[in-house]
Amino acid sequence: MNLEMFETQVLPTKNKLYRFAFRLLGNSEEAQDVVQDVFIKLWNGRDQLAEVQNMEAWCMRITKNLSLDRLRARQRRSTDSINHGFEIRHEDLTPHERTEIHENMQQINHMIAALPEKQRQVIHLRDIEGYSYNEICEILELDMNQVKVNLFRARSAVREKLVKMNAYGL
Amino acid sequence: MDSKQFEQLLEKYWNCETSLEEEKQLREYFRGEVSGNLKETADLFRYFETQQEQAVVGSDFDAVVKKKIKQQQPKGKSVSMIFNVARIAAGVLVVVTATYFVRQEVRKAYPPEIVDTYSDPKLALEETKKALMMISKGFNKAQKEAGKIKAFNDAEEKLHKQGKNEETI
Repeated sequence: MNLEMFETQVLPTKNKLYRFAFRLLGNSEEAQDVVQDVFIKLWNGRDQLAEVQNMEAWCMRITKNLSLDRLRARQRRSTDSINHGFEIRHEDLTPHERTEIHENMQQINHMIAALPEKQRQVIHLRDIEGYSYNEICEILELDMNQVKVNLFRARSAVREKLVKMNAYGL
Repeated sequence: MDSKQFEQLLEKYWNCETSLEEEKQLREYFRGEVSGNLKETADLFRYFETQQEQAVVGSDFDAVVKKKIKQQQPKGKSVSMIFNVARIAAGVLVVVTATYFVRQEVRKAYPPEIVDTYSDPKLALEETKKALMMISKGFNKAQKEAGKIKAFNDAEEKLHKQGKNEETI
């Protein structure tokens, strides 16, 4: 891969990679660092990239792996609750964005952040990024069955909470 | 899409049976006004859409990445070369050190005094003769001393015999 291919095929995926890393890490700065690391890693291993058919899915897979590495390192370091890192931090948003986000949206954000790791990954890739089941299998290195089970559980958990929100105004 | 069709589609969505195209239709539908009991579901689909707009902060992100990958290029190669050279050097060092210690051990086991010091056989013969002469001189001297002891013995024997003769008389 030359620099031109890198600029046309790899660099444009940056926002998708960033969103995925942000979903996993809950921290904008760290998510950007991960995306940079992904690009550097891809560039250093560019000789082996000829076999990769879906470059975007490949980038997403490396993003997932590097984000999880960071999460594990963070969990080893901190004695805080494990859920701490999963919260989407609202101080990362601009005041304008903060007012834009409806209260319900914030609750949805927390709902998804509270899902188990795999379910959170699957619902993000399907409902936000719009990937096909096959692509999700490739990115998460899971089989079709596991992807569907995780998506079903994630959507069911979200649905249940939405019903509660509707019924009790929670 | 009428409300019944829509409800069926939404149910399919919750059961994970919708295609990507159908999910897109749902998102489009929820962009409009919806009735009370679907308000939260609409918020969920709107949330998905707002999340798609999230992007990397900082307009110089591409420039930073490009700069970093350019820095990476030569460094990566030289590091691997230095690493290879270091591996070979380490191997050689181990062999040299091992040889040195083995030599030391061998020298200790065979002290240099035992090793033949004369390279010329004639000189060696002379030296051997000298040594043997020294030993024989020592023997001769000792023999002389031993001769004196013999005189004592003879005298003692004579006295003994005399004593016996006097007893018989």
